[in-house]
Amino acid sequence: MIKIEKRNDVSRSIYFLTPVLAIFLTLFGGGIIFFILGFNPIEALKFFFITPISDLYGLSELLVKATPLCLIAIGLSYCFKSNNWNIGAEGQLIFGGIVGGGVALLFYNHDGFYVLPLIILSGAIGGMLFAMIPAILKTYFNTNEILVSLMLVYVAKLLLDYLVVGPWSNPEGFNFPETRQFSDSARMPILFDGLRIHAGIFITLITVFLSWLILYKTYLGFQIKVSGLSLKTAKYAGFKGKTMIIIVFMISGACAGLAGVGEITGPIGQLHRNISPDYGFTAIIVAFLGRLNPIGIIFASLIVALTYLGAETAQIFLQVPKYTGQVFQGMILFFLLGSDYLLFFKIKFLGLKKNEL
Amino acid sequence: MNTKLKVSEISKIYPGCIANDKVSLEFGSGKIYALLGENGAGKSTLVKILSGVVKPDEGEVFLNNERIKLNSPLDAKKNNIGMVFQHFNLFETLSVFENLSIDSDKKDEDLRVLVNDILEKYNFKIDLDIPVLNLSAGQKQKVEIIRCLIRNPKVLIMDEPTSVLTEQETDDLFISLKQFSKDGILIIYITHKLKEVLSLCDEVAVMRKGKVVSVSNTIDEKIESLANKMVGENLNTIKKKINNFKNSEEILKISNLNFKSDDPYETNLNNLNLSLKKGECLGIAGISGNGQNELFQILSGEIITEGTSIMFRNKEIGKLNPRERREYLMAFSPEDRISQAAVPELKIYENVALNNFKSSNFFEKGLVNEKKIKEHTQKILSNFSVNTDNVELKSQFLSGGNLQKLIIGRELITSPELLVCFNPTWGLDVGAINYIHETLIQINEQGKSSILISTDNDELLKLSDRICVIYKGKLSKIMNADTVTAEKLGILMGGGLID
Repeated sequence: MIKIEKRNDVSRSIYFLTPVLAIFLTLFGGGIIFFILGFNPIEALKFFFITPISDLYGLSELLVKATPLCLIAIGLSYCFKSNNWNIGAEGQLIFGGIVGGGVALLFYNHDGFYVLPLIILSGAIGGMLFAMIPAILKTYFNTNEILVSLMLVYVAKLLLDYLVVGPWSNPEGFNFPETRQFSDSARMPILFDGLRIHAGIFITLITVFLSWLILYKTYLGFQIKVSGLSLKTAKYAGFKGKTMIIIVFMISGACAGLAGVGEITGPIGQLHRNISPDYGFTAIIVAFLGRLNPIGIIFASLIVALTYLGAETAQIFLQVPKYTGQVFQGMILFFLLGSDYLLFFKIKFLGLKKNEL
Repeated sequence: MNTKLKVSEISKIYPGCIANDKVSLEFGSGKIYALLGENGAGKSTLVKILSGVVKPDEGEVFLNNERIKLNSPLDAKKNNIGMVFQHFNLFETLSVFENLSIDSDKKDEDLRVLVNDILEKYNFKIDLDIPVLNLSAGQKQKVEIIRCLIRNPKVLIMDEPTSVLTEQETDDLFISLKQFSKDGILIIYITHKLKEVLSLCDEVAVMRKGKVVSVSNTIDEKIESLANKMVGENLNTIKKKINNFKNSEEILKISNLNFKSDDPYETNLNNLNLSLKKGECLGIAGISGNGQNELFQILSGEIITEGTSIMFRNKEIGKLNPRERREYLMAFSPEDRISQAAVPELKIYENVALNNFKSSNFFEKGLVNEKKIKEHTQKILSNFSVNTDNVELKSQFLSGGNLQKLIIGRELITSPELLVCFNPTWGLDVGAINYIHETLIQINEQGKSSILISTDNDELLKLSDRICVIYKGKLSKIMNADTVTAEKLGILMGGGLID
């Protein structure tokens, strides 16, 4: 007989250490996979995790990738903490990008200090409005937010496709599926010459700080926390449940929209079909790896960003497909969930009892 | 076909509670047996043992004088023991026939013939090819029964089958059960409804606190005698001094309140009327599941009703949520202290902050005023003798008694005019129970009112000034507590009538 019991007391330090354990297990699992593929596992892991960040350019690239991941994950943490399963951050990112990109194209011939803030603001609003669709359907029509938010990702993707192929495509672009390059005043300022790291990182950092304040020091944060732990209690305390669901989705969508705008005005500089390498989905892993905690999410976003870079290096040096990055992301989540299970439950092996014989 | 089922010296002990204490019973086919008892009397544990869901710590089960092992529900099926649970185990989106074929090893064609025979024999009218979700509760139950009949059961156990049925469906069910019994199936019928026992069953075993207290023929019993056995005669408790509230001010009035739920497992409330005076304690008795939950939520504002249906201190509050009602000096202590009244994972002071409203100043301009909450919490911990002074402690480390003191303290420290509590002492030890009871008496003495919804009759008789009983979502007339006896309560709780 095997019996699974819930543990009552999980210490806080171990709770924050298990993600680290999950990362080590991922490295170990990755090593085994490389070994099976016929590589020296230590060498391969070095190409994957050390080489990409061994120079200044690599470090800058790491931050370029971590900036959107961290921002989206912070937004998602509002939803996940309050038991709202927003799986559609990718769609909110793309929609934010579409709205922000539209404004950028509209102001193609203007230059002025106001252009970039306007684009950023409109991107955030775009993401926010897009995230309100599943929230309103959930609160007023009892739909499942997982399905609705996920399916809206494809809506956003196809809309972007249509725009860059059709009405918004570059008139001088030889029918390539992309828009014009944005004007300089519509681009995020670059922080260092020759590196791609841009001012978007400040948006992320400010959001992290504000989120820490909101989640831990305000009535809204308290309501989010209680609703996440027990909906029954939230109802009993008289929290306005529907309003709160809409607010967390709005915040989450705005963050994803900001991330989208950061990408198109930062490293990309135009709209095309692939403005995000699934940042919106990967950020779900980041949020959980960071334990939905703002500081934890910063570290988690750096680690997961590294898997993106590592996959590119591995593709060049080891000729493995860049999808190995996703394999690593998957392993992180797998090992995290696995160790969490053992953290919250204990497994007891019981002998046979007298009356069973 | 002659079936004899015997349970011998069955004991099952859960931490802190003896669910079955050396239970021995004998059943024979051709009769319908009632197993009667209050909630927590141990009848559900016994049927779970018979259906293989729970294993007893001690004791044996014999079928036709042969000892049988019941280690899993599968063993029960092998031994031809069928069971229909209170909550259905059907796949809503599959058709009736698919539901039946899932756990049958027969070929589909054979099964269909068999099922059609059963339908015809017992005059069940069910379309086999429509999804289960289109069926009424009574029809779903028939599907569950057919599922048992397919296996030619020797024993059929029904666990409180009428709780989700309408009157008409109940009558239909009884006709079918009597027919099964004629066909030689031994029927064990679990219930706490006295009328059903008398109209359906041949023999009745009454359980109380894990023990079988009586076995008798139903012909020899009346509603009163069964009520007495079920509730037990515990009248040697000290009663609170009964006051005369004729001239006091009316604080709460509920008139013609109806509640209809979409959830078939919830109870609808019909035409509720009650009033409460200043300083008075109104007790509401009843066997759980008769609408107490819904009534509590209507009082607390978790269920919103018509504004005019509830008047509190001359204000219409029916449309207000719990937080807004607290503003008018109402307080609530729900039954579920572990996952509703408090959150175990939160610290004590965070749980205290759950009871907040605009004038409590716990949150100023949207920011948490941690210092204020902690001071307030400190006051609750010492005033209500909670066994800790660490406001940062997670609530899961408090014992049930201390947690309940914290909750009652949190609700009372704002000096509310009305406290609504629901089973405030379930699962507590004697010391904590006394403390809570004293506190509840005290608030009445201070001129504050209370509504006590409880399934514990001793508690109700001890604390209430007036008492009524809730049965199937209806309130009985409200009686002065000094005219009420446990026997009267028992009859009303079982759906009987008194003069």
